[in-house]
Amino acid sequence: MIRIHDLTVAFGGVKAIDALSAELDAPVCGLIGPNGAGKTTLVNVLSGLVLPRAGTVAVDGADLLGLKPIERVRFGLRRSFQTEQVVEDLSVWDNVRALLDHVPHTRGDAAAQVARALSHTDLLDVATVLGHRLNLFQRRMLEIAKSLVGAPKLLLLDEPGAGLTEQEAGVLRRVIGSVHAFCGAQVLLIDHDVDLIAATCTETLVLDFGRRLALGPTRAVLDDPAVRKAYLGTE
Amino acid sequence: MSASSTLGGVLPLAGAPGSPASLAQATRRARLSLALMVASVLLIGLAVPWLANAYWIKTLTSSLALSIAAAGVALLYGQLGLVSLCQYALLGAGGWIALRAGHGLGWPFELSVLAGGLLSCAVGMLAGLPALRLKGLYLALVTMMMAGGFQVVINVTGFPDGGAGWLGRVFGSERLMMPRPALALSDAAYFRYVAVWLAAVLALIELHRRTRAGRSWALIRRGEAAAVAAGVNILRYQTWAFGLAGFCAGVAGALLAGGVGQLDGRAFTAGDSVMLFALTVVGGVYHWAGALIAGLLLRAVPALLTDFGVNGYLAMIFFGVALLHALITAPSGIAGQLAGTVDAVRQRIRPPRKDATP
Repeated sequence: MIRIHDLTVAFGGVKAIDALSAELDAPVCGLIGPNGAGKTTLVNVLSGLVLPRAGTVAVDGADLLGLKPIERVRFGLRRSFQTEQVVEDLSVWDNVRALLDHVPHTRGDAAAQVARALSHTDLLDVATVLGHRLNLFQRRMLEIAKSLVGAPKLLLLDEPGAGLTEQEAGVLRRVIGSVHAFCGAQVLLIDHDVDLIAATCTETLVLDFGRRLALGPTRAVLDDPAVRKAYLGTE
Repeated sequence: MSASSTLGGVLPLAGAPGSPASLAQATRRARLSLALMVASVLLIGLAVPWLANAYWIKTLTSSLALSIAAAGVALLYGQLGLVSLCQYALLGAGGWIALRAGHGLGWPFELSVLAGGLLSCAVGMLAGLPALRLKGLYLALVTMMMAGGFQVVINVTGFPDGGAGWLGRVFGSERLMMPRPALALSDAAYFRYVAVWLAAVLALIELHRRTRAGRSWALIRRGEAAAVAAGVNILRYQTWAFGLAGFCAGVAGALLAGGVGQLDGRAFTAGDSVMLFALTVVGGVYHWAGALIAGLLLRAVPALLTDFGVNGYLAMIFFGVALLHALITAPSGIAGQLAGTVDAVRQRIRPPRKDATP
C-alpha cells in the first residue's frame, strides 16, 4: 500500500510534483503520463534519490521519507532504472546475489533465493553468463530478478518494456503480473506502453504537469476523456 | 516461465542450486584458479633461490615485496577506478611501524609485519575519505600531496634503527639491523618467506573480489545510483578497499624493511608512489599476475639495465613509453594481454563448448 499525501517536489522554481495525494492499493499499479509529467521524479522520491519539499509518503504504513536510500532497500523497496543497471563484468548469478548481500535474509537461504528469482525470470540457464553478454530482454529480466530477492515490499519498475519486441513484452507482462503471487510485493509500473499497463495493472495513476489527473481502475482511467486528451491524443 | 520455478524453495545450498552443471562448474573453475594462483606464487618462491645468484635473490625479494603493494594499488584502480598516489608512502609507514616494533618492542617478526600492515590499513582508510567526494584527477592530486607530506616527515625523522626514544633513532654509533624471522635467516629462505606472504595477500584479495565485497565494489563501479539502489553502503565498501590496499602497502613495507634490515628515509618520495601506480597499470590491474609484473618492473628491470651497463634513468623513459602503451592500447596491462593470449591458444586447441552461448 502506497500512501502519498500532499507531496511537492520542486527543482528551483519548477514544480515537478505539485501537491500530489494518492492511495495505491492494487498488487500491480500503473503510473502513466506524458513526458515531463513527473513519473520518474515520483519514483526518485520513493527510492530516496530526490528529497521532496513537502508532503509524506508511506509504504505499508512505514514513513518512507524518514529512511535513507539504502535503508529503504533494506526495508523492501526495489527499483529498476530506465537505463538498466546490470553490472557488465559480474555473472547473472552474482548480479542478483549482490543485492541479497545488503538486505536481511537467512544465511543458508541465499543460493536458493537467487535460484528461485532466476528461474522465475527464466534466467537460470544463463546464470553463469557475464552481464555484458546479455541482450536487452535478458537485461530487463535480470533487473526484475534482482528485485525479487530478500523479501521485497514494493517494486518500482521504470519503463521495463521500452525497446522490447511484441513477444518479449508478452513474457514481461506475465512476469510482472505474477510478482505479487511470487513474493507478495506490490508493483508500481511506469511505462508508455498502454497495452502493458492495461494488461497488468488493476489500478492506475495518471500524472500531468506534476498533478494528479486521474486515479482508479485502469480501464476506467484509460477511458477517461481528460486522460485521453492529455495523454493518448484526441481522435 | 520455466518449469523449474517451483524447485527454488527446496534447493540445497551447495555449489549448484538449480542451474545445472554450469554453475557448479564455474564454482569449481574459480576455486581451481585460486589454487593455481597460490601454487604459482609458491612455486616462484621455491624455484628462484635455486636458479638465481645472491644479487638476484635480493633484488627479486624486493620485487616480490613490492608486488604486495602493487596488488593493493591494482585493487583500488581495478575494482573501483580510484587513483591513489600515496601507496608508497603507506608502504613507508608500514615499514616504520615494523622497524619500531621489531627494534623497540622486540616483537616477533610476523607480529611486526602485521602491525605495519594494520597501521597502514588505518591510515589508508583515512587517506581514502576524500574519495567519497573526489574522483579521478582530484583524488590523485590529494593523495599525492599526502605522499608529499610523508616525504617531508620521513626525511626529517628517518626510520627507526634501534636507537632510544620515540623515534628509535641511533645517533653517533652504528645503525642496527632489524632481525629477520628465525625461520628465514638466509637470503634464499627470506625470499621464500616473502613469497608465502605474497601468496597469502593475493589470496586475501581474491577472496574479497569473489564475495560480498567484490560484488559491492562492482556495483559501485557501475555507478552510484546502481549501488544505492542495491543497498550498498558506499562509504563502508570504498573505505574497506582503501584499508585493504593500505594493509598491502604496510605489509610490503615491513617485508622490505626485514629484507634489508633497515630503510632509508630518502627512498620514499612522492614520485615513488606515482611510479608504483604507473607500473601497476602497466603490469595489469585486473589479473593477479599484474602485481607480480609490476614488482619486476619496479626492481628487477632497473637492475637488469644496470647489469647491462645501461643508465638507470633510461628505465624511466622505457616505463613512460610502456605506460602510454598500456593506457592507449592495453588497458588490462601486460597481465591482461598474457591472459588473453593464453585464452586464445586454449580456444585454438580445444573445440568450442556447446553451452558457450547465452
